[in-house]
Amino acid sequence: MEAVELKIIREAYNNKLDKTLSLNLSSMEDLQLGKSRNSTKKILTYRVFEVVMFSFLVMFLGWYIANNWDQTHLVISGVIVNIFALVALVGSIGQVVLLQQIDFSKPIVEIRKKIELVNSHGLLFIKIIFFSAPVWWSYAIIAVDLSLGVDLYVHLEQDFVARYLVVNFLLIIPLVWFFYKLSYKNLHIKWVRKTIGLFTGTKIMKALAFLNDIEEFENLER
Amino acid sequence: MKTNKKDIFITTIDTHKKIIYKIVNSYCKNSEDRKDLEQEIIIQLWNSFDRYNTEYKYSTWMYRIALNVAISFYRKEKKWSAKSDFYNEESIFSIVEEKSKEETELDYHLKLLQEFIHNLNELNKALMLLYLEEKSYEEIAEILGITTTNVATKISRIKLKLKNEFQKNIK
Repeated sequence: MEAVELKIIREAYNNKLDKTLSLNLSSMEDLQLGKSRNSTKKILTYRVFEVVMFSFLVMFLGWYIANNWDQTHLVISGVIVNIFALVALVGSIGQVVLLQQIDFSKPIVEIRKKIELVNSHGLLFIKIIFFSAPVWWSYAIIAVDLSLGVDLYVHLEQDFVARYLVVNFLLIIPLVWFFYKLSYKNLHIKWVRKTIGLFTGTKIMKALAFLNDIEEFENLER
Repeated sequence: MKTNKKDIFITTIDTHKKIIYKIVNSYCKNSEDRKDLEQEIIIQLWNSFDRYNTEYKYSTWMYRIALNVAISFYRKEKKWSAKSDFYNEESIFSIVEEKSKEETELDYHLKLLQEFIHNLNELNKALMLLYLEEKSYEEIAEILGITTTNVATKISRIKLKLKNEFQKNIK
């Protein structure tokens, strides 16, 4: 297929369309121009709701920390949970910003990236859950204290607490590594692909795979 | 005033109808999906009509919107037509099918070309459509948001693939 042949096909197709294609005026007039099926507004509502919920959670945990200021273990647990809530809040605010920047008249690669980052938002929560593994006891201590009014910490043996702290301190480095590995840039690694697929689902996997495609498309060498 | 705006919009769509028609045909095989996609493109063009930036050519602006909508549509797991009867049933564009003997060979080549484009991924499909519209590499780069050198490299690779594809099918 030479350029000249391609030009002939293209011109013939254009000529054919010039002769045969017409605008159906009655359909055009009937079209409800205000009713788009674009789901951006719906997603924006969800993300704003997330921002509100996480803002309340961060404020509530702040109140909880201040209220238990004299009990170190509750303050530490509160601070730990609040840090993760803050990460989630920042992530959700970032999503709202991204969604407001989506304008279809902007360059395709830029808009696709933003849309797929919105579609893959769920991965952040999976990462938070994994990354907070060494401090899951903080969640339990706060949850039991708030729901049942029982201070779980005083019932724990000191030996268990010491072992727990050592083991989980050692877990931090592998978890930081794991946190960074779980990214669309590493989808070529089988275990990364399988882990993300297992915990997130098809929609997020598709979004991540497309982010990878976009990066390849932007990259001149590939 | 409102009617006037709509009239201008309809005239603009009429002038550029081939752009929408070609994009819709490249991204959708199913006729129901095609109807939905052409309607969604027109709705998005209408919604952005007041924000048209005159520093770009109208066709550049239109390509960006139409391709962005088409890629979003293509990537949806469930197409809109499968959901509900939201839009009217009639297509916005009508095409009269007429074939003469001389057209047959050309039609076969065109079909091969369309099949080839259809099998490209979403982004390369957009690139190839713009190339076939004889857009300059600068304009393609502007629409897609990549460098001109990247556009040139990718087009030469796709053309090579296309050449091989045609050689396989036409002896």
